[in-house]
Amino acid sequence: MEVSTNQDYGSKTMTKVKQRKDTLLARLKQNKIAYFSLWFLIILHLIVFLGPFFWTINPEELQEVGSLAGWSLQHPFGTDDLSRDVFARMLHGGRVTLLVGLAAMLFALLIGTLVGACAGYFGKFVESVLMRITEAMMAIPNFFFVLVALTVLGTSPVMVVVVIALCGWMEIARVVYGETLKWKEYEFVEAANASGARSIRILTKYIIPQIIPSIIVSGTLTIAAAILTESAISYLGLGIQPPTPTWGNMLQNSQQYIWTAPVLGILPGAAITIVVLAYNFLGDGLRDALDPKYVKK
Amino acid sequence: MCVKHTSIPNKKYSGGDEVLRFLLNRLGQSAILLLIVTIITFFLINLAPGGPASTMRMDASPEERQAMVEKLGLDQPIHIRYIDWITNALKGDLGVSFTSSEPVVQRIAERLPYTIELTVFTIILSITIGILFGVISAIKRGKAQDHVINFFSVLGLSVPAFWLGLMLILLFSINLGWLPSSGVGARGADFNFWGWISHLIMPVLILTTTVLPNIVRFTRSSMLEVISQNYIRTARAKGAKESIVLYVHALRNALIPVVTIIGVLIPRLLSGAVITEAIFGWTGIGTLILEAARGRDYPLVMGVTVVITVVVVLCNLIVDLIYSRIDPRVKNV
Amino acid sequence: MKTKKWRFMSVILVFFLLLAGCSYGGDSSNSSGDQSEGEGTGSDPKKGGKVSIPIVADPTFNPWHPNAYAESNVVNRVLFSGLTQPGKDLAPSPDLATKWETSDDELEWTFYLRDDVLWHDGEKFTAEDVAYTFNEIVLNAELGANNSSYFQKVKEVQVVNDYEVKFIMESPVAALPAYLSFNTEIVPKHIFEGQDPWELTSFNKVNPVGTGAYKLKSYTSGQSVILERNDDFYGDVGLLDEIEYKVLPDVNTHVAQILSGELSIFALDDLASIERIEQADGVSVFGRETPRFFWIIVNHEEEKYQDKRVKQAILHAIDRQNIIDTVLKGYGTIADAGIAPALEEYYTDDVARYDYDPEKAKELLAEAGWTDTDGDGIVDKDGEPFSIDFKIGIQGDLEAVSQMVQQYLVKVGLDVKLNAMEWNAMIQDVVVNRNYEMSLNWWRYPADPDLSAYMHSANVKGNNIPHYQNPELDKLLDQGAQTSDVEERKKIYIEAQKLMAEELPYIFLWYPQEAQVRIDKLKGVPDLAFGDALHYIHEWYIEE
Repeated sequence: MEVSTNQDYGSKTMTKVKQRKDTLLARLKQNKIAYFSLWFLIILHLIVFLGPFFWTINPEELQEVGSLAGWSLQHPFGTDDLSRDVFARMLHGGRVTLLVGLAAMLFALLIGTLVGACAGYFGKFVESVLMRITEAMMAIPNFFFVLVALTVLGTSPVMVVVVIALCGWMEIARVVYGETLKWKEYEFVEAANASGARSIRILTKYIIPQIIPSIIVSGTLTIAAAILTESAISYLGLGIQPPTPTWGNMLQNSQQYIWTAPVLGILPGAAITIVVLAYNFLGDGLRDALDPKYVKK
Repeated sequence: MCVKHTSIPNKKYSGGDEVLRFLLNRLGQSAILLLIVTIITFFLINLAPGGPASTMRMDASPEERQAMVEKLGLDQPIHIRYIDWITNALKGDLGVSFTSSEPVVQRIAERLPYTIELTVFTIILSITIGILFGVISAIKRGKAQDHVINFFSVLGLSVPAFWLGLMLILLFSINLGWLPSSGVGARGADFNFWGWISHLIMPVLILTTTVLPNIVRFTRSSMLEVISQNYIRTARAKGAKESIVLYVHALRNALIPVVTIIGVLIPRLLSGAVITEAIFGWTGIGTLILEAARGRDYPLVMGVTVVITVVVVLCNLIVDLIYSRIDPRVKNV
Repeated sequence: MKTKKWRFMSVILVFFLLLAGCSYGGDSSNSSGDQSEGEGTGSDPKKGGKVSIPIVADPTFNPWHPNAYAESNVVNRVLFSGLTQPGKDLAPSPDLATKWETSDDELEWTFYLRDDVLWHDGEKFTAEDVAYTFNEIVLNAELGANNSSYFQKVKEVQVVNDYEVKFIMESPVAALPAYLSFNTEIVPKHIFEGQDPWELTSFNKVNPVGTGAYKLKSYTSGQSVILERNDDFYGDVGLLDEIEYKVLPDVNTHVAQILSGELSIFALDDLASIERIEQADGVSVFGRETPRFFWIIVNHEEEKYQDKRVKQAILHAIDRQNIIDTVLKGYGTIADAGIAPALEEYYTDDVARYDYDPEKAKELLAEAGWTDTDGDGIVDKDGEPFSIDFKIGIQGDLEAVSQMVQQYLVKVGLDVKLNAMEWNAMIQDVVVNRNYEMSLNWWRYPADPDLSAYMHSANVKGNNIPHYQNPELDKLLDQGAQTSDVEERKKIYIEAQKLMAEELPYIFLWYPQEAQVRIDKLKGVPDLAFGDALHYIHEWYIEE
């Protein structure tokens, strides 16, 4: 079934937005891997966020069976180097990791949307300053600053989220900027403009709602990147610190057991890879589904 | 994340004048960028809890710590220190490393070539493979090859580089014993080719996975765009064999924007180099900044930051210039 | 037009390749220029070969430099020599000094020096070098030299004649010969005179001149330091041709490389992979006692910790043997006081001991007034819950140990929040600002039982981080520090240990053993901790 909404939706009323969302899901369904990723992520988030209510072992508590114990009914993934339940740590660590990803994404979206929309909407001086900053931020290898910032400012979860977000908003800003440029030319925005509505109102009421699908795409891809960044800074020992488990610091800690208990590293590493993979597939799928040039295969 | 059509200069430079103006404009912007970067970094590191005195041995006495602070001039107010630093930096003097008392420039010069070596090999490898796979993917669009390549591209974007690195070490160094797990190999008099290459293989592979998927995807979309354009259809209509049309006409034009991606990827490569260098004990600029930040070596942190920013800015400038030279659309306007 | 584009791109490519090429041309290694490799001496089958030792960072070839840490010590011990060195029984034994004696009032120490010592550059070593090292570097407070705090009581060093020096003391220090064997190597006056000893990079970073059994052959920053045999060494000339120090920041790499034969010997700090090494062929692990102890400190400025029952309860609450087994893989002995079993003569375990007994811990807390009155699982007193901010630095196994400790303390009702900080930030908070409530770390000290630096009330601004003050302990420590007679000293320190175990100035955890990893081909290494064995590197050899 060919779904085509690629023409002149701007000239119509805003009910179009809802329609686009519906078709988005319909199109996504046709991309099997993206659709599967979506369900996979939903289920995984349910497990990770609700799991600890059922699997009540404290992830920080030392278990009787001793360290590096193998599989058992009590401890399905065994115990780690300090004799803690690996399954509980995977659940709680997943919670923290996914929350960090989500929070960093939201924060990055906030900055990116703000910068992109303002630059696109106001144009002129604001545009050139904001977009120059965006380009500059993209042009510098920001990981160097991440390292310096986290080394000197400490590694509280909030710092980690802020720093990851500060490194990840630029792509979003560019997308939002491009979209804003496009949408502000449409009649309904110009009409609102002519009626004397304030800029902020126009931006929030008329333009940003139109951009939401693109923002969702960027957001999905940003979560993927944020989770990867979290694990990378954990690897360098600059991420969220124990005893709070995250997949990143579990992976980092497992490094020293690569010889004696490689499974400690394989679990969080595989978990990170799969989640990021799913987010990337979903993001790609969403983008394709939004693409006006979309053709059914 | 996918790099989209970023940083393709949409301004049109036709004459030498315009190029010059563009250059000057860019240089001006870069200077401001550099200044801001130095200010932020300088104040950031100086805000850090625990200055160089805290890097001393734990059993250093308070007197020993105080002696260190005074000797390094850290009892001066921070803005005075920044002004001192920037004045000297403008004269080309990046100061002396706190931890080794050697000139910062010298310490960076010792390490930078290794990072360049790593990144150049990575660029060569990822561009060759990336373009090849990108083209295959575009030509076989929607077919099995396309899906497989796409899957591995996304996988490459999703695997934590250091985890993959550890897995490679586990396989090639620990289990098979084929490749050294760390270091850059013997240099100078003891240099030998296999030693050098064997040390390079894993780091280059890991760094390649961080950028290769972008190049594949970028080439693919660029290629698809070109294929759908008129002149390809014209060429086909003229009766040229399809494969020749594709390879000669389409590829050449599709590759033009690919040049720009090098500019986009350089910051990413350098960031990726930090991790890669840390995994494989590759003594480049990435390990240097880690040492510097942990050792509270302020002049060294500043120096590395400045050098990296300059390198990136220059690379981008070069890429933009190349682009303005080779894009026929830009030229013919 | 097509070719033009490609040409332009290839120019850029060549540019990058050239840049990369610089790394071979611009090799920063420096050769000492000495070509005389001892190849003709094949008659002794033991002679020849090299050992590779990992270091985690670039070294500074100056034992007194404030930036000379562990990675520098292992190099400097081989390059330079001190007046004394740790004997194979750890008691100070002759090195540059052949013998020493103290005046009756113990305020003057005379050291008689060897007269056959040459610096690596051929200059003669004399008493002037010793006097310079101490008077101009160590005792110069402005310089803040490493370990200078051990020599606070030294007024000055006088040259008696070319081969005799006198240490003039403000008060007796029985441990002086032991201190002189611990990272206190002598540096050459003829190179340092008139220079800022920290700024002299041509020496400290490029071309050190020592008196040791090996001299610098080449050094490449970030990669390796290579030493070659010093054929003019005053002692037995070394058997190995070369000593290579590889700069490898990552400890996992050390393990990988010793298993693949790229390294020869090191002290493994992180014992996670010990089982793998123990299984490996051709590599062995040796447990070595070292003068170190792990501790938890509580800030004695806070009232609740002035009650020793609280500290005793903490000890009873922690299953130290389990932590030793889990994290240290058995390489450690439960500590009762600060004097480690490495100091055999002084060590005793006949003191108050605290077995793992959570019930006892709760009782002691209750006696001290801390009980769980509101049933929230946390003990409280006067409505105040017992919550502890537990600050540690991220390094080695401190994080792992602290996480286990935290869990044990939580079990007896102490609300412990673990705060793992970047190392420098921790130093700033805990050591410099004393802004902490509880911390965990370890001390390493010279092979002498004098622990005044860590628990004497005179040092509450110094290394007495727990701010512990006890006149009784002060008196014992003072007596011990000033008594040279070994039998007399033993009695004093045994009494001191009993007092420490009872009063717990530190909450003593364990004496870690060093896990020395060594390839089996390497022989002649004395049964000492790795750092001490380095003093005997000229006896090491490779057996094929």
